[in-house]
Amino acid sequence: MSEITTLPNWTALGPALALLATALALLAVDMVDPEESSSVLLTGTSVTGGLVALGLALWYLFAGTGQPAAGQEAPQGALDLFGGALVIDAMSLFFTVIVTSVAVLVAFASHEYLRDHSYQAEYYSLVLLAATGMVTVTAANSFVTAFIAIELVSLPSYALVASLKTNEGSSEAGLKYFLVGALSSAVFAYGIALVYVATGSLQFDAVTTAIADGTPFTSLLGVGMVMILGGVAFKIAAVPFHFWAPDAYEGAPAPISAFISSASKAAGFVLGFRVFVDVFGGAMGVFNWVNAFLIISVVTMTVANFSALKQNNVKRILAYSSVAHAGYVLIALAAFTGSVDGEISILGAGMAHLFVYGFMNTGAFLFIALAEHWEVGRTVEDYHGLGEQAPFACAAMTVFLFSLAGLPIGGGFFSKFYLLFATVTGGQGLLGAALVINSVVSLFYYTRIVRALWTEDAAADLELTEYPTGLYIAIAVAALATVLLIPGFGVVIEYAEIAARMIGG
Amino acid sequence: MVGLTPLSAGFSLPFVPGIGGVEVTVLFPLVTFLLILAFGRYLPFKGAYLGIVSTGVGFLVAVATVIQLATGAGIRHETLHTLVAGVEGAGVTLTFGVLIDPLSALMLTIVGLISLLVHVFSLGYMNAEGEIDLPRYYAALSLFTFSMMAFVISDNLLMSFVFFELVGLCSYLLIGFWYRKPGPASAAKKAFLVTRFGDYFFLIGVVAVLGTFGTAQFAGTESFVTMAETALESGDASGINTFGFGAQTWFTVIGLLVLGGAVGKSAQFPLHTWLPDAMEGPTPVSALIHAATMVAAGVYLIARMYGFYALSPTALSVIALVGGFTAFFAATMALVKQELKQVLAYSTISQYGYMMLALGGGGYLAAVFHLTTHAIFKALLFLGAGAIIISMHHEENMWEMGGLKDELRTTYLAFLAGSLALAGIFPFAGFWSKDEVLYETLIHALGGGSPVLFVAYALGLLAVIMTAFYTFRMVLLTFHGEPRTDAAEDPHAVSLSMKVPLVVLGVLSVVAGLLNMAVLKSVLPKDALLLERWLNGETVGGEFAEGALTAEHYHHVLTSEYGAGYTAGYGGLGEGTLALVGGVVALVLAVIPALVAWRLYGGADPDPHMTNLGSLRTLLMNNYYQDEYQVWLARGVTLPVATLANKFDQGLLDGIVDGSGGVSLFAGGRFQRLQSGVVTTYVALLALGLLVLLLVFAVTGGWL
Repeated sequence: MSEITTLPNWTALGPALALLATALALLAVDMVDPEESSSVLLTGTSVTGGLVALGLALWYLFAGTGQPAAGQEAPQGALDLFGGALVIDAMSLFFTVIVTSVAVLVAFASHEYLRDHSYQAEYYSLVLLAATGMVTVTAANSFVTAFIAIELVSLPSYALVASLKTNEGSSEAGLKYFLVGALSSAVFAYGIALVYVATGSLQFDAVTTAIADGTPFTSLLGVGMVMILGGVAFKIAAVPFHFWAPDAYEGAPAPISAFISSASKAAGFVLGFRVFVDVFGGAMGVFNWVNAFLIISVVTMTVANFSALKQNNVKRILAYSSVAHAGYVLIALAAFTGSVDGEISILGAGMAHLFVYGFMNTGAFLFIALAEHWEVGRTVEDYHGLGEQAPFACAAMTVFLFSLAGLPIGGGFFSKFYLLFATVTGGQGLLGAALVINSVVSLFYYTRIVRALWTEDAAADLELTEYPTGLYIAIAVAALATVLLIPGFGVVIEYAEIAARMIGG
Repeated sequence: MVGLTPLSAGFSLPFVPGIGGVEVTVLFPLVTFLLILAFGRYLPFKGAYLGIVSTGVGFLVAVATVIQLATGAGIRHETLHTLVAGVEGAGVTLTFGVLIDPLSALMLTIVGLISLLVHVFSLGYMNAEGEIDLPRYYAALSLFTFSMMAFVISDNLLMSFVFFELVGLCSYLLIGFWYRKPGPASAAKKAFLVTRFGDYFFLIGVVAVLGTFGTAQFAGTESFVTMAETALESGDASGINTFGFGAQTWFTVIGLLVLGGAVGKSAQFPLHTWLPDAMEGPTPVSALIHAATMVAAGVYLIARMYGFYALSPTALSVIALVGGFTAFFAATMALVKQELKQVLAYSTISQYGYMMLALGGGGYLAAVFHLTTHAIFKALLFLGAGAIIISMHHEENMWEMGGLKDELRTTYLAFLAGSLALAGIFPFAGFWSKDEVLYETLIHALGGGSPVLFVAYALGLLAVIMTAFYTFRMVLLTFHGEPRTDAAEDPHAVSLSMKVPLVVLGVLSVVAGLLNMAVLKSVLPKDALLLERWLNGETVGGEFAEGALTAEHYHHVLTSEYGAGYTAGYGGLGEGTLALVGGVVALVLAVIPALVAWRLYGGADPDPHMTNLGSLRTLLMNNYYQDEYQVWLARGVTLPVATLANKFDQGLLDGIVDGSGGVSLFAGGRFQRLQSGVVTTYVALLALGLLVLLLVFAVTGGWL
């Protein structure tokens, strides 16, 4: 905490400010020379900005910012900013690390992907603005800031999904995403309004106090909570708010699919964790949200995994896999026991899974970006024999897919194991069983892709001419991180636990 | 570090931190294995020198360990890694650790020595002959050495089992080294499968030990051996789970299960059939497998946990009978073989029978002694056979040889020394150890042990006669008389790298008997029985109370009321006199058939006298149709059962699995229809979902 005594509190927003400044700088660069702006300069600026934000977040996290000092108990130590509208604590920093890591990878990977794209500066600055929004979501401590931050994530995302302007699929996906998103935002806003009516406040701590003191408008509060749940479920792409996801992921440029499915989902979850565990933790008698999440979690993972079985388009398979993973992480809320205690809490396990997922899922989508760059095609059959031509990338993809399935080749094994362990110790054995069964089903479609890469013979005319550096760097870093998260999982779960205690302790 | 005392001797290798780090011996071959595997192609002599250096250093460390133990260092027993820590006082503890006591140090030295010599010999046998794929050969050789050494220093049964299996795998790799030929490939498979059959019982035995005692430790007060002994001694079996059996009955069952592994690996009847086929491997490999490693592993295992077997007279009787019968049975088959290595193969089986006989007959010391001397002279004989085979251009039939003694002088002399040791002629190594085996069995039979011991002893004596006969038949046919073929007329010269191991082992075959001249115990001072003092732990410093691993303690258990209840009887003669008489009898029984062999095969152009045996010869040549009945067992019994199991698996289990896959895909198809691509449908479903949630919780939450 030493640097907090020397730095003013607002510097805790450093990661968000760095991202915002980079986004604006990119626009400025483009304004100076709109015709000739160098793509290396643009990528470099975005990556640098992302790395600065990531570095700040890591520094704060390891230095103990927003964590209880010695002798203090969680949730003491959190930094309230702007009269409690924002809060910087271990959880917000933990998720900032996820978001900025993904943003850096995506920026790297976009370098070659965007070669013939006419609006590169806008693309990068939209990515960074969305990332700014996500970082703000992690820190939101009031329904107002939460809503604004969510919109700051959503609006650039709509544009990014549709950013391949000449591609019909991309435009259609963007439109669908926008329409469903608009409806969900409306539901979310309506929910906020109802909660405000019931509690008389929008600030989280005040709402918590109001609920604890009792409110005469329990029905309104309940309906409001369900609607807020809807808003969160849209962001994390949980059934039945997931319909946009497969279409949007498929149509969007693959790096954007990676970005939305990893970082945006993490931002949605952080809001869900904070709002439900911290704010509505005392309102369980009004709306038993644990049961609601239980239903949604099981339905989400089941529907998604079974839907993925029949797909033939690799990107769509991964889209459903991403939905399924939302179901797995929802276990953290569905098996929540009312407090965070013990060595391993279910909440910490869920956060750790999101962390690992950030790398392995991004990596998998970036491999698709690579395949799209090579123009080999979209279906599983088109991937036949890629292993011979691009062994390194395919090995990395194998690591991503098996780690997603939960095999002990990447950190995904441990995070799923901790989730399972936490469900069993928490007495939610059925939830654990659903997790196991669904993981087995998922293995089927993950293996199908791996088999296509390695054991099938390539089409006769398959020849890869170019190995794009930026994409390879991004994939290599993601693969390295996925594998290193096996030995390094201890650190992740440690900080995830600290983060979980900040809201549930 | 339990039992570690400072070194009193000045002898210490710079990189060995006293006896405390003797497990590094084991790591040299492992590192070598990895290096050869990775860079074998680029190493000089395809990794041969690397193997020689690493086994050489390993051997030196083993010797240093022996010297340290002999000069007062304490034994070392330490758990290095705990795999599963049981709950205090309950549950199962699985650990990896080392146990360096006189027995394992001795065995470590033997393994190191033989492995070193085999590496050196391979330079001439494999490299000089221009064999291909040598890195694979040397890598497997190193892995083999590593596995055996790790097996030897294991401090618990589970770890033993792990390395026992690794030894089995390595033998598969080496026997099948020339896998492109059908013979070696099938021999490797056979060795693997037959020993695996025995190991199956061993595995059940390991589980039984763990289930009964909760630990598989060999040494220490918490070892299963000591726990079993205490239970029988006090008559109180509480704290161990005997699954409803009487304690001694249950210990017998466990002992026999573990014995299954030893019977397979040590090629005892009826699981001996793999060993003769294993001669298909390169000859240096045969030397390694049959002298120091794989086959020795079975006997070593029984010796390692002898304190446990000493509790069960039934198990001991079974071991004695199996051993005695194998010694006899294998010797009969060796009588008629025409190929050099086949004779040696059956003699190996027969000699390991002696060791089992000794163990069953209460002669722990005799068994270890014979294991030691046999390792030396059998390695010598196999390497000698390898030298002959090379010089004969890979001809193995003895009837195609003859008259080699002048051309291959060194080989002849060394081979002769080994043969005299094998035949048990005074004063060569085998005489002393084999005689001790018979003597120990005899005194325990005379002392009123089970009559089975008499039968086993008689079979052992008969085997002495046949051993001497077939050994001299082999020597005479190979080296004496006139050359019978062109190849024998003009054999290859034997290279230096092959001669050196032969000379070293030849000298050892002459002198190794000095370790324990028990035949002369009536005239010698007590201190002259070096091996007895060694295994009694008299040289070892510190407390040797590590669960009583001494030969003395085994004898105590063996003769106690609660143990096997053996007593020694001397048939009216004194102890020393009986030893002397037994020695003379055995010597006479060996010399007479040797002379007969000389008479029959000593001429310039001997006749194939064995054909006079007629149909008996046919039976022996066909190995009593052992292979045939085992093949029938496999085809007639195992195959139908396996087919049935397969049907069950295919039909029922796979049906369920396939069915669930089908249901999944069907469900997937249904779910997919929800994703219509029409955005209005999405929005409608979304709203519907939200409404359902609202309704459900409005009703259950009482908001209405």
